[in-house]
Amino acid sequence: MNIYQPHLMRIVEITDETVDTRTLKLEFKAPEMAREFQFSAGQFGEYSAFGEGESTFCIASSPTRKGYIECSFKSTGKVTQALRRLGVGDTVGFRGPYGNHFPIEEMKGHSVVFIAGGIGLAPVRCAIWNVLDLRDQFKDVTIVYGARTVGDLVYKRELEEWSRRADLRLCLAVDPGGETPDWKGEVARIPSAVEKAVTTAEDTFAILCGPPIMIKFTLPVLAKLGFAAERIYTTLENRMKCGLGKCGRCNIGATYVCKDGPVFTAAEMGRMPQEF
Amino acid sequence: MKELQELAAKLLADGAVQVVLGYEEGPRGVRPAFITDPAQAGRLVFDARCVQNLATYLNPRRKHIVQLGKPAVVVKGCDARAIAGLVRERQIARASVVVIAMRCGGVLQRAEENAALSSETTAARCAGCDAREPKLYDYILGELPPDPPVNASRAEKIALLEKMTPAQRKSFWDEELSRCIRCHACREACPMCFCVQCTAERALPQWIDPSPTLHANRAWQMMRVLHQAGRCVDCLECERACPEDIPLGLFARYIAGAVETRFGYKACDDPAVPAPLGVFSTEDGEEFIR
Amino acid sequence: MTQRFLSHADLAALVAAHKRVIAPVRAKDDARQTDYLPIQALADAALGAALPRRSLKEYFLPPTEVLLSYRQTKEGVEIKEVPTQAQPQVILFASPCDAAALEVVDKVMDWQYRDELWFGRREATTIVGLLCSSMDSSCFCSAIGLGPDSPRGSDVLLTQVEGGYLAQVITPKGEALLAHCAATEASAAAVAQAETARKQAREKVENNAPAIPNEFGAWLEENFDHPAWKTMALRCHGCGACASVCPTCHCFDIVDEHDSSEEGVRRRNWDSCQTAKFTLQASGYNPRQSQSERFRQRIQHKFSIYPKRFGEILCTGCGRCCRVCAGGMNLPEILGGLIALAKKDQGESGQ
Repeated sequence: MNIYQPHLMRIVEITDETVDTRTLKLEFKAPEMAREFQFSAGQFGEYSAFGEGESTFCIASSPTRKGYIECSFKSTGKVTQALRRLGVGDTVGFRGPYGNHFPIEEMKGHSVVFIAGGIGLAPVRCAIWNVLDLRDQFKDVTIVYGARTVGDLVYKRELEEWSRRADLRLCLAVDPGGETPDWKGEVARIPSAVEKAVTTAEDTFAILCGPPIMIKFTLPVLAKLGFAAERIYTTLENRMKCGLGKCGRCNIGATYVCKDGPVFTAAEMGRMPQEF
Repeated sequence: MKELQELAAKLLADGAVQVVLGYEEGPRGVRPAFITDPAQAGRLVFDARCVQNLATYLNPRRKHIVQLGKPAVVVKGCDARAIAGLVRERQIARASVVVIAMRCGGVLQRAEENAALSSETTAARCAGCDAREPKLYDYILGELPPDPPVNASRAEKIALLEKMTPAQRKSFWDEELSRCIRCHACREACPMCFCVQCTAERALPQWIDPSPTLHANRAWQMMRVLHQAGRCVDCLECERACPEDIPLGLFARYIAGAVETRFGYKACDDPAVPAPLGVFSTEDGEEFIR
Repeated sequence: MTQRFLSHADLAALVAAHKRVIAPVRAKDDARQTDYLPIQALADAALGAALPRRSLKEYFLPPTEVLLSYRQTKEGVEIKEVPTQAQPQVILFASPCDAAALEVVDKVMDWQYRDELWFGRREATTIVGLLCSSMDSSCFCSAIGLGPDSPRGSDVLLTQVEGGYLAQVITPKGEALLAHCAATEASAAAVAQAETARKQAREKVENNAPAIPNEFGAWLEENFDHPAWKTMALRCHGCGACASVCPTCHCFDIVDEHDSSEEGVRRRNWDSCQTAKFTLQASGYNPRQSQSERFRQRIQHKFSIYPKRFGEILCTGCGRCCRVCAGGMNLPEILGGLIALAKKDQGESGQ
């Protein structure tokens, strides 16, 4: 089997998160893969719709949940539209897991703040469930999640579940004008929601993912709160093809996002050429 | 040449333009130059090695050139047809560029060659040229040199192609197009390829398979040459860019011949003359409808 | 390194004994040019002519290749694997810059994940290099630390001497190739003749470009935002022809194509960082907006990123990018300019 050849997976469940964002729950067809497949939170894969091509997404489910993986994607291009046409029982290809991961081990014994915007919750969700499934090994858990409108919030059932949990603090926000009459969360952009919800950086790691503009304006807020740039983690989503460090597409200066990333600290991002 | 250098220096010094696109001596013969400092205008040259069509740099796709400011461009009469094309198709405003036209005595096949013009070394596209005395210009320089020697190689090849049976012609082109690697260098170098998104890159729907297989190569080159029908200015930037040395100009000329026969149109440097496929006329022949 | 003498007849016999031999042959469309193509007999090869227009890359990383084929059935998808073992082949009269390039690219192809398609072809191929005599003003192999007589990447390196060739056996694969060949021990005269030829060849390219200093890669990385990048690529069309003919450019795209609703293939195709589409994201955002940035990437990848990662410059100084460029971009000239800037910085910081 050459390195570009995918494993076959069966779609076992489809969840529509928003009008254009969908989550697929996938199981390996080969029993040995189903048994042996392992990954770490933050890693990504190449998902294929046969005949249309491959697309890069993070694994959105937690490595603590065995036997399946999930991916969430927005229909924007040829491959994602094709993946959207598939139904339960259909086959997709999967190569991975690739890249580095969030420092879950290092974070043990400390507090964690998760910050996500829009579909940026997908990689963060993977880390959230990883932490929640080992809840007693971490201190405080805070989740700040926002989207443009209420309709753009993903994983709504889980947001509901997290909001009921006593062992974490959840702050939901939508941009001004994106609220509905019964909206109970914040009406604010993410940087201000973070300013409100997060009070201390002490003994705390931050994991952050969302559109570039959100990252840009949230980083100074975290810095002001006292987060060291080495303790802020984010994931980059450059255009990739091989995921294996061969095709040359995901370079940012000397960084290969597919091999050195996709998870980077804010300190590492600051040292990269600003070409992302 | 002195006249050209002085004019360029003056245009830059007066602030009439911010950059002069001209020709300079390079490590491998004459090449495009971008002069922004009047003191550097002495680098400009013009002779039979100036084969490139600098009007291709006016293509609005080239953002790194647009940012230099208002350009003056040195053109031969044939190149001016590309400026007319860009103006005709509303890609640039005529007033946005200062055209310095050079009366031309024909050019060589290759910019890196330093030979006298002969029936072998002269560019085949110069044969029968009607644009040696440019008509589209803000400044026109030089004296009209005598007619260059005629290189008949292309005319001969086209005659040969016309004599072929369709099957022979297909096998001729298949052999050439089988080398195409779908790098699209032809398009990137072309002054008239300015589509924001080329059909070759549309994935929804996927009109043309992206891989360099013969069927997709045929589809790509046919699409491009048909889209260039009545628009191609015969500058051969495509052919010069092609890393596989496919005679793309021959393809384009073949279609240009058909356009001339059908519509009586030849690429010209008058932006007011409409492109044959760019207008609708009730006089259009409809003999293809049966 | 053992040196042997091969007569023309010996070499002709060697060609005849192998099913697939690739060598430079005269281009059909231009008698002054050559291309690497399969030959039937030694006489088909164009010896000592111009450097082939295109590198050897396509024999290891074809412009398009099938990665897998698939069939969709009611039960799901069946994948048909492609073989990773290749047909044995001999490349004869490889230019040293082309042979070296293969070893350079091996590094990325073996980086953690081994590209079996590349290595399948690499392993099945024996490379017989030839002391270069086709250099022109755009060659700058010596600036990269190679040279017209560099044995790198070759299994056997030939030098033309009176009556035949002096063969330096470089690898066990080369040894195996010559095992069945009536090669004799080289005479002292032949060895001396070859040494003179090598020296003369080196002298022909040595002055074409300054040697790349060791710190150049680090300087490039530090000067990612240097104003020089802005105006360096004005004449560049962004056509990527340089990448196509480059022996070390290896970037690719992966696409699916279907013949019917049931069957199709996944292919890998050459791609180039010089085109706008290369980094264009699905959202419409492009981190490399203009040609200046795309050209910077080409230089950075070759002279800073790759050396930092793999300890090798991703260029062998073949000069093809200069020869193919319709816009007159010239890599040795550009490198010379950048090296001068780097030296100036160094001089200033040293004061």
